[in-house]
Amino acid sequence: MGQIRVGRPDAKPDMSAHIDGTRQGNEGPAESQPGHHRSGTSDARRSTGVHWKKHDAILPAMPNISPG
Amino acid sequence: MTTTERPSRSKERQSPQMVDMAWDPITRIIGNLGIHTKIDFANREVAECYSTSSLFRGYSVFMKGKDPRDAGFITSRICGICGDNHTTCSDYAQQMAYGIKPPPLAEHIVNLGEAAEYMFDHTLFQDNLVFVDFCEAMVKDTNPSVLAQAENTPAPQAGVHGYRTIADIMRAFNPFEGEVYKQALVISRITREMYCTMGGRHVHPSTLYPGGVGTMPQPNTFTDYLSRLVKVLDFVKQSVAMNDDVFDFFYEALPGYEEVGRRRVMLGCWGSFQNPDFCDYRYETMNDWGRRMFVTPGIIVDGELVTNKLVDINLGMRILLGSSYYEDWVGEEPFVTHDPLGNPVDMRHPWNQTTVPQPQKRDFEGNYSWVMSPRWYDRTSGQHLALDTGGGPLARLWSTALNGLVDTPYVKATGHSVRISLPKSEQLPETTLEWRIPRWNNTLERNRARQYFVAYAAAMAFQFVEEAMTLVRAGETKTFTDFEVPEEAVGCGFHEAVRGVLSHHLVIKDKKIANYHPYPPTPWNASPRDSYGTPGPYEDAVQGQPIFEENGADDFKGVDIMRTVRSFDPCLPCGVHMYLGNGNELRQLHSPTFGAIHG
Repeated sequence: MGQIRVGRPDAKPDMSAHIDGTRQGNEGPAESQPGHHRSGTSDARRSTGVHWKKHDAILPAMPNISPG
Repeated sequence: MTTTERPSRSKERQSPQMVDMAWDPITRIIGNLGIHTKIDFANREVAECYSTSSLFRGYSVFMKGKDPRDAGFITSRICGICGDNHTTCSDYAQQMAYGIKPPPLAEHIVNLGEAAEYMFDHTLFQDNLVFVDFCEAMVKDTNPSVLAQAENTPAPQAGVHGYRTIADIMRAFNPFEGEVYKQALVISRITREMYCTMGGRHVHPSTLYPGGVGTMPQPNTFTDYLSRLVKVLDFVKQSVAMNDDVFDFFYEALPGYEEVGRRRVMLGCWGSFQNPDFCDYRYETMNDWGRRMFVTPGIIVDGELVTNKLVDINLGMRILLGSSYYEDWVGEEPFVTHDPLGNPVDMRHPWNQTTVPQPQKRDFEGNYSWVMSPRWYDRTSGQHLALDTGGGPLARLWSTALNGLVDTPYVKATGHSVRISLPKSEQLPETTLEWRIPRWNNTLERNRARQYFVAYAAAMAFQFVEEAMTLVRAGETKTFTDFEVPEEAVGCGFHEAVRGVLSHHLVIKDKKIANYHPYPPTPWNASPRDSYGTPGPYEDAVQGQPIFEENGADDFKGVDIMRTVRSFDPCLPCGVHMYLGNGNELRQLHSPTFGAIHG
């Protein structure tokens, strides 16, 4: 800091934001949740999990739109 | 010289009558900017100008040693109005360092957020801050004869905006009570809501990360955005028309007004709106994906395009001292000697910069600002160019127009202009606006470009919404790419903050930040005289400009100078990267808007 007098640092600036043991979002929900595909795409069953089996489109010609 | 040459004035020059005038701090901008001038009232021009900042913040100092993944969240706090530009740019730099590319939907979401940000910020600044200098109350105080003329001048585009005369438009600009002033506040609220649907929060987004976004891409995320976008469209079309009418009137009413704030055309634009089809964030291919951006990067000198290659832009960056309160860092160890392509990297490049602050007394003969002097080294001419950003929009539109590369359903660059097509809105029909490259880089053109860029951002937002909706309908809802922080890496991000060029340079060592330097627009614009004596853009634009204000030295408001400085959209918190005052006292003061009190 040049010639500026500064105090002793009391912070750990490189402390990791991640806490061990917490599930990381990076792994993706493909295994554990319906409606998520390995390819990264998703379909209508990616809803709330309520009656998810019934969330598919009723005809193959219909779009199976993901709620998000 | 890299400064602006003024035309020799035909009228005989009188012996100068110099008066020192200073505006420090300047109101209606963000941060502590001071403009110190010597005004020659006999010849009605500004003889000398110094731009100074009394604010030091030290982002580049305290970023060292931190987890690089936090960089986007920390650097967002550089600014309280364009913080999301910093997050975005930081994420770009990190994506390069981590070697990842976000999924296309994430890219669209970031672009949509940025489009909303441009619309929000430009509207707020233009209509609530800039136009106070052009409103009826101000013009009455400074140029009563111009107001009288405005009363009798019909507005050419009255059919679009509904104001019969130019004076009617100026009345609508009056702060706190004018129609446009009040409407602009509503619009900036709606556009901020648009940002929040994408970024979760404004201005410090909570859902933008390196590798993608955490925004839930539901169909209604985009329809919520779209419905608001359509709602503001009438205002966008009307304000472009109003701007054109008022600025054209000023040229007409005050012959020679083009000299106000005129500066040699030396503009820089680092590009905005990544194209997910091409952008892979690799340094090696940066020139290619840079050119595919939906706002094309470029450096323009005297109306000619010098380069649009991001690698050249990157390698040409030089941070000079000369009049700033810092110690030189040339004796320090360089962080990056060669870029990933093997090109040598200069010691004065942001990758190698070490910020060593040295507080001292302000001395206009020596050091007088906390802002450094970023320059772009032009290899062909061997000059360090003091590029400005034209307040942001001027350089963006100019570069996009001149490059002629953007060709989308809503925006088309023609080589000499930019055509912006906006769909039908509530009151107004489908409209195509055309911004043409102006003859001057001056105060009025900087201001005019701003509103056109709001239209540009709105038009691009339509395209991003459509593309994002197509992806959602196809089930392509992935918005995040996994990554590991490398042991060692370098990265750079090039983006456009609302008021111009924005770059973040990052060096990672041992998975920690070894060096981090954000270079936002205001260091470029507000820079003081560099080690070669070249003044910064504000100084260059104000120095030598004629004065049109009718008031004498006693009740001088300096409106022409303020118009020039504000046309650059100054934002000092980003200009210097901790305040070292005498104590820890924090005082909140409220100063009423200049010109607000009128009869």
